[in-house]
Amino acid sequence: MEFAELIKTPRVDGVVLHRPFMPTVEGTLCLTGHHLILSSRQDNTEELWLLHSNIDSIEKRFVGSVGSIIVKCKDLRVIQLDIPGMEECLNIASSIEALSTLDSVSLMYPFFYRPMFEVIEDGWNSYLPQDAFKELESMTDEWRLSEVNKDFTVCRSYPPLVAVPKNIDDDTLKKVAAFRHGGRFPVLSYYHKKNGMVMMRAGQPLTGTNGRRCKEDEKLINATLRPGKRGYIIDTRTISVAQQAKARGGGFESEGNYPQWRRIHKAIERYNVLQESLIKLVEACNDQSHSMDRWLSKLEASNWQTHIKEILTTACLAAQCIDREGASVLVHGTEGTDSTLQVNSLAQIILDPGCRTIKGFQGLVEREWLQAGHPFQQRCAQSAYSNSKPRQEAPAFLLFLDCVWQVLRQFPCSFEFNESFLVLLFEHAYASQFGTFLGSCAADRARLSLPEKTVSLWSWVNRPQELERLTNPLYEANSLVIWPSVAPQSLLLWEGLFLRWNRSSKCLDEAYDEMVHIIEYNKELQNKVNSLRRQLAQLETEDPLLNRP
Amino acid sequence: MEFSDHIKTANVEDVVLRQPLHKPSRGTLCITGHHLLFSEREEGSSQQVLLLLRNIDAIEKRMSGSSGTITIKCKDLRVLQLDIPGMEQCLNISHSIETLSCLDNVSEMYPFFYRPTDLSLQDQWGLSTPEEHYTQMKELHKRWRLSSVNKSYSVCPSYPSAVIVPNCIDDETLKKVAKFRQGGRFPVLCYYHRKNGMVIMRSSQPLTGANRKRCKEDELLLQAVIKDSDKGFIIDTRSSQQVQQARMTGGGFESKSFYNCWKRLHRQMERGKGLQESLIKLVEACSDESHNVDRWLSKLENSKWLSHVQTALSTAGLLAECVERDGHSALVHGYEGTDCSLLICTLAQLIMDPFCRTLEGFLALLEREWLQAGHPFQQRCAHSAYSHTRFQQESPVFLLLLDCVWQLWRQFPLALGFSEALLLRLANEVYASDYGTFLCNNDQERCALGVKDRTHCLFRALLRPAERDYYSNPLFEPTELAIWPSVHPQSLQLWRGFFLRWTQLAHQLEAVQEEIRSMVIEWARVAQR
Repeated sequence: MEFAELIKTPRVDGVVLHRPFMPTVEGTLCLTGHHLILSSRQDNTEELWLLHSNIDSIEKRFVGSVGSIIVKCKDLRVIQLDIPGMEECLNIASSIEALSTLDSVSLMYPFFYRPMFEVIEDGWNSYLPQDAFKELESMTDEWRLSEVNKDFTVCRSYPPLVAVPKNIDDDTLKKVAAFRHGGRFPVLSYYHKKNGMVMMRAGQPLTGTNGRRCKEDEKLINATLRPGKRGYIIDTRTISVAQQAKARGGGFESEGNYPQWRRIHKAIERYNVLQESLIKLVEACNDQSHSMDRWLSKLEASNWQTHIKEILTTACLAAQCIDREGASVLVHGTEGTDSTLQVNSLAQIILDPGCRTIKGFQGLVEREWLQAGHPFQQRCAQSAYSNSKPRQEAPAFLLFLDCVWQVLRQFPCSFEFNESFLVLLFEHAYASQFGTFLGSCAADRARLSLPEKTVSLWSWVNRPQELERLTNPLYEANSLVIWPSVAPQSLLLWEGLFLRWNRSSKCLDEAYDEMVHIIEYNKELQNKVNSLRRQLAQLETEDPLLNRP
Repeated sequence: MEFSDHIKTANVEDVVLRQPLHKPSRGTLCITGHHLLFSEREEGSSQQVLLLLRNIDAIEKRMSGSSGTITIKCKDLRVLQLDIPGMEQCLNISHSIETLSCLDNVSEMYPFFYRPTDLSLQDQWGLSTPEEHYTQMKELHKRWRLSSVNKSYSVCPSYPSAVIVPNCIDDETLKKVAKFRQGGRFPVLCYYHRKNGMVIMRSSQPLTGANRKRCKEDELLLQAVIKDSDKGFIIDTRSSQQVQQARMTGGGFESKSFYNCWKRLHRQMERGKGLQESLIKLVEACSDESHNVDRWLSKLENSKWLSHVQTALSTAGLLAECVERDGHSALVHGYEGTDCSLLICTLAQLIMDPFCRTLEGFLALLEREWLQAGHPFQQRCAHSAYSHTRFQQESPVFLLLLDCVWQLWRQFPLALGFSEALLLRLANEVYASDYGTFLCNNDQERCALGVKDRTHCLFRALLRPAERDYYSNPLFEPTELAIWPSVHPQSLQLWRGFFLRWTQLAHQLEAVQEEIRSMVIEWARVAQR
């Protein structure tokens, strides 16, 4: 096997491991094809099992003949390994560097991982487009499931099945696809049961400098409007960015050709800007200086909270158009694979109580991120510690999770899942033993045969013991639309993620456990009260003495 | 009665009230000597709003046509708006509010008129006197005595009538030491650490002046504090530059040569006007509606409030470290010894002493360290963040304490026996109250006005069963250990429950806490059967 070529020193004894909030451990370091393992021979100390793919960057330092490797992980943890022997240290470091940046997807750990748990329900089949469509069919007959993309030729980043207006045929779709960036023709993303309004998403129209138009495109999106109704197009770019896009063949829907639609421009950042924001934020969080001013300046300079606010504001706008204005909405930016998905999925969190359950949220991530073609492989290749120049990396998904956390914090009883679930999704999006976040679109996943060759994250999550850990004890189903506050004063830093390795959460965890305990005990008592009441009622009916007038 | 002189219009009909978290409502407005009362007059509802005039920090009026609008900004940071028909009525009302909300005469204030049915003026006032406190602290008796040198408040007007001092120091010596300390605040015991017998003392600055005056008795007293242990720490809440300057105005510090067993540590803490301005800036930032994240964070930074929280907590941490970790006694002072000294002594006790973290213990701590120790509440809390008047003695030191305690509570959710609701209640009461507890500046004034005989005590009221339930922390699990707060800037947060309490957000979080609380109460009831 070729991994062996990359591992010159597979094993070193007497290595000392430093981790946040844990005692240092001395033991044997082993490198395997996918893991960095440190185990001491004592039974009571925890071993370290670290996926190479979780390693964002490393630094080496030498003091005499002892070398230290500082390992910075994509989950933002920083650990240090003190390795006796300079050569061993160099060998280990170069192996880690090579193994953590393997390019070939099919060499990744999910292809080698065999579950040690019983799969109750195969996650790969849990959220199929046809099942989601059945639910839609029960509410409306205005939409159909098209197979036009069944071999991924019309749009490479779309799944084989997409929901489109019933009276639009596949030939029209093909023409529209040629007019939209990356072939991403407008498809249904959400149907608002309450008033029948819909949210769609697409790539930008390829109008170019000379204002090209496409009758089929106009026909398609007009087909989603009720007679006499107007719709909104939410463009996630500013008007000037949208104008500039024309020069490169892109563009936007002009008023002249789309008279029934009102266009609104918002300013959601993408790519490098976001990646740099994340890097700055994490740097600020790790700043050890004790200056309050410096911390607040750095937090401000990172602009992270501004991005959160822009995304949430746009999502609220989309939700408002649908719920309050009673209008349908089409969302797009440039490619329609990043900010578009953020807005669509958050709007659904706001509008649809179903998305606030654990399964519902999994379905949302599956539909609006995985099947909708968010290029996870490119976006999550590196995290905040990487020294390499970011190319396609961007924490778009992390920003989405952060926004969900903000809403969850503002509506602590309205979500079935807790913060741990969001942290778990963040971790697995960047490094995982499961195949769920591998590849960049449905076509990739089919080509790699992920459902056959890897285990789905959902298979693991949807087992009782995991679900219990991820369930919000305060949850009470809330069928209402929830409107989060987007005032800057209401937005907080997501401590549970960004300060997770900087401050001990022991006391907070204890309080959380205590709360869970109280709530469980309360349920138990209520059950007891109910059964006693039943018994009493039964005794009253059975006892002849009581029945005697 | 003379209040009526200030009330030309006592009743106005058809007034519209706008307040945060509520829909506008129409009703009748009444002004009484101490209250503003609004009763809704709409079908199917009988909402009333009763506001102590004392709670009003500032008002603004705007006239348009024949009606006027009064904006009322309260000391609890709430902002209300009243639309009043009739220009004359509006002017009369606003005039009454302006006059009655800042009456100077303490004995005319509402606590002297407040007579709830379930409390009696015969009840004990306060939780514990210095005498009772001393009697309970048996382990003190060997080396410490209760001195009545200040019985008539002539030695130190801001001290209580009895204080704890070393056994071997007689009252004559104390009198001499008092002359050497600003405001007569000679070093007294404030905390005895049971684990190792070390103590915290507090005082005001020594009056060494420019020519380095010394006082043998003062040196003797401090020497008696450390006795056999080798050294002690003096935590001065001013920078070393500030203490040099203080000498020019008659103040000073304990020089190394005369107090060779004591090591001085300087930690500059903001006080007085600086702190008041910080609060004003923070409250302004919190009510900024520009929806700009950068601007919010700059303004928050600019207010420096969180820096003050950080400094207070880290100085208290330092003090607790001297006592608990290093095993040395400590003396704390700044200038007058009535503000920052009390702040950090209180926080250090919360860090070290498990009893202070219970509901009763915390209230008793506040009684000892703030009321009896002579924090001038009347001067410090005359105005809050909205006032337009020129500030004299105002300063939110006590609010800063509550914020620091909240940070502790947030970092150690199980360790404190009281809830955020208690801190919020105290933050209200200290500025405007039905109770006499926070009236006046010290014990002497309270005695002179008969506060303890003619008003009710807030702390007693808070410990009534129903209130006690409400202010207890349902998650409380006492720990004997010291709780060391993290003072990393990343660990400290804005106290949203207080500063943003009139926004929707705080409201939802309150609902969750209420939910947990009711569960625990239910649980306790079932468990009793």
